[in-house]
Amino acid sequence: MHAIAIHGGAGAVPRASLSAEREERYRAGLAAALDAGYAVLDGGGSSLDAVIAAVRILEDDPLFNAGHGAALTRDGAAELDAAIMDGKHMRAGAVASVRHVRNPIELARHVMEKSRHVLLVGAGAEEFALEEGMSLVPNRYFRTAERLEQLESEQRGERVSDLIPPSSQGTVGAVARDGAGNLAAATSTGGMTNKRPGRVGDSPIIGAGTYAKNGVCAVSATGHGEYFIRAVAAHHVSAALEYRGLALEAAVHEMLHEVLRGMGGDGGLIAIDHAGRVVMDFSTEGMFRGARDSNGRRDIAIY
Amino acid sequence: MLRPKLVAILACALGAAAAQAAKPPPAPPPPPPVAIAIHGGAGVIDPAQMTPEKAAAYRAGLAAALDAGYAILERGGSSLDAVTAAVRMLEDDPLFNAGRGAVLNQDGDAELDAAIMDGRGPHAGAVAAVRHVKNPIELARLVMERSPHVLLVGDGAEEFALEQGVVLVPRGYFRTRARMDQLEEERRAQEGHVAAPAPPGKGTVGAVALDRAGNLAAATSTGGLTNKHKGRVGDTPLIGAGTYASNDSCAVSGTGEGEYFIRQVVAYDICALVAYKHLKLADAVNEVIHEKLKASGGEGGVIALDPAGEIVMDFNSVGMFRGARDALGRRQIAMYRDEQP
Repeated sequence: MHAIAIHGGAGAVPRASLSAEREERYRAGLAAALDAGYAVLDGGGSSLDAVIAAVRILEDDPLFNAGHGAALTRDGAAELDAAIMDGKHMRAGAVASVRHVRNPIELARHVMEKSRHVLLVGAGAEEFALEEGMSLVPNRYFRTAERLEQLESEQRGERVSDLIPPSSQGTVGAVARDGAGNLAAATSTGGMTNKRPGRVGDSPIIGAGTYAKNGVCAVSATGHGEYFIRAVAAHHVSAALEYRGLALEAAVHEMLHEVLRGMGGDGGLIAIDHAGRVVMDFSTEGMFRGARDSNGRRDIAIY
Repeated sequence: MLRPKLVAILACALGAAAAQAAKPPPAPPPPPPVAIAIHGGAGVIDPAQMTPEKAAAYRAGLAAALDAGYAILERGGSSLDAVTAAVRMLEDDPLFNAGRGAVLNQDGDAELDAAIMDGRGPHAGAVAAVRHVKNPIELARLVMERSPHVLLVGDGAEEFALEQGVVLVPRGYFRTRARMDQLEEERRAQEGHVAAPAPPGKGTVGAVALDRAGNLAAATSTGGLTNKHKGRVGDTPLIGAGTYASNDSCAVSGTGEGEYFIRQVVAYDICALVAYKHLKLADAVNEVIHEKLKASGGEGGVIALDPAGEIVMDFNSVGMFRGARDALGRRQIAMYRDEQP
């Protein structure tokens, strides 16, 4: 059994205000990423390759808050965070606060595979990207008219357009189990709109927004990052399975609806366990998400 | 004002703890004794190179930090103030790898990481890759107390420091002759001109404390690895990896090969074993440091403290600079394993 689940952010997505046309574009973006990741698994590829393929597509899609179309800092720049974890070897790679890397998830993978480190930040991470032969892009590559508008309305103190999911909650991610039973998780984000430069959320922090351990589970989070960091959310889910014998669904539910809600934080989690069971849960109005497995399941959902 | 509700919710999450909380307490238990433990790095102590004068200087530095933190607890101060004071002194002491005297990166600069966590929490603050902040632990605390964020890195963290009225210092402040020599040695070793050097600096400083009100706190600060890649961040500023505190389980500060601590989520894993598998603190530390971390090839140690005031200082390396003091009269400074009580 192989399976993959993806998310494109959680938040308030009032059904009435998301036009049919726009909703269709979100669904199409999710479907493209889901199917690309699934195709890797179906072709006998690794869960690691599958989550990267899916996240890369979401990074390139301007609708989602990662890579091209990421939310902008208070200075109007994109600052990107990403992480990947390989549950087979318990390896991990992450980057934070990079401004010129087209696909941060690929740089995170380079950090995992080609450096002795796990986390590189800022200009040092970009220096490493150059050493690895990656070409950098100007920061304006990430900026879209929609995100600029969103930043300006946030800075004027107005509510962000309901047509765009509040990017404070946007993040993209994927978890997968391949035919060999290996688990992997990947997460990528532009963080919060109007964030302070240098602010890093949970996405690139192993154990907070991203975690994978073979035989237990793989988890990718989206939501109010500061709460997910303090709750060590992704590792908490894994520890609940491993130390308390909870089922994946109960562990995810407890984290979102008891621990995080108790702290005042909301968001969503996608997770997959050793058997390939997928859980996608959220405490917000909606979460852009999708799941597909070798038993024939193929779901795309928002609400 | 959120706290009682929060504690109740966390207690529910902890299952067994909720059952205990449901029973009416027979009598208020006596307050736990105040306690503090500190470390100044693990794995870096070569007995052959440790002259009596050097050893005395390390012990004096540890004692000063330990006693400064303890003094705060003794007069009823908070564990948060105690760990901040102890770590601040270790940052200012050029012998330890944090603040002044931090190890240097591949460009010859100090790049500093620090985190603090309040066990009443969950409140936490952290900074990474800062180059002009004299006491990174104080900036981490400002992030916790004066920003809605947990982690700020690089120039953005320094911008926040300036907004908070923190005076920045030039990079030269952190650089010492000893660290410049160490960087040179490491560079030559990597170029193959000399035999493999002693293990690179893996020093870090940290403190965990329990105050009279029963609150736990943890703080950690470091310059990271000698000759590290610019922008490399280790476990120290990552909540759950190198630093964690919760009044419901334990407080932990780690030191060692940061990459292994990140992948194993070491600090939180110890507390999860205490909270969920109901292991004793020493057994949880033993499982994580001597079994899981060692099996993955990682070297290092932790100091840990539970709500009853039980202090555990353990490591799988040759030694760990460490100290512990509590209201029951314990006061210990140690470097090697055989000094373990």
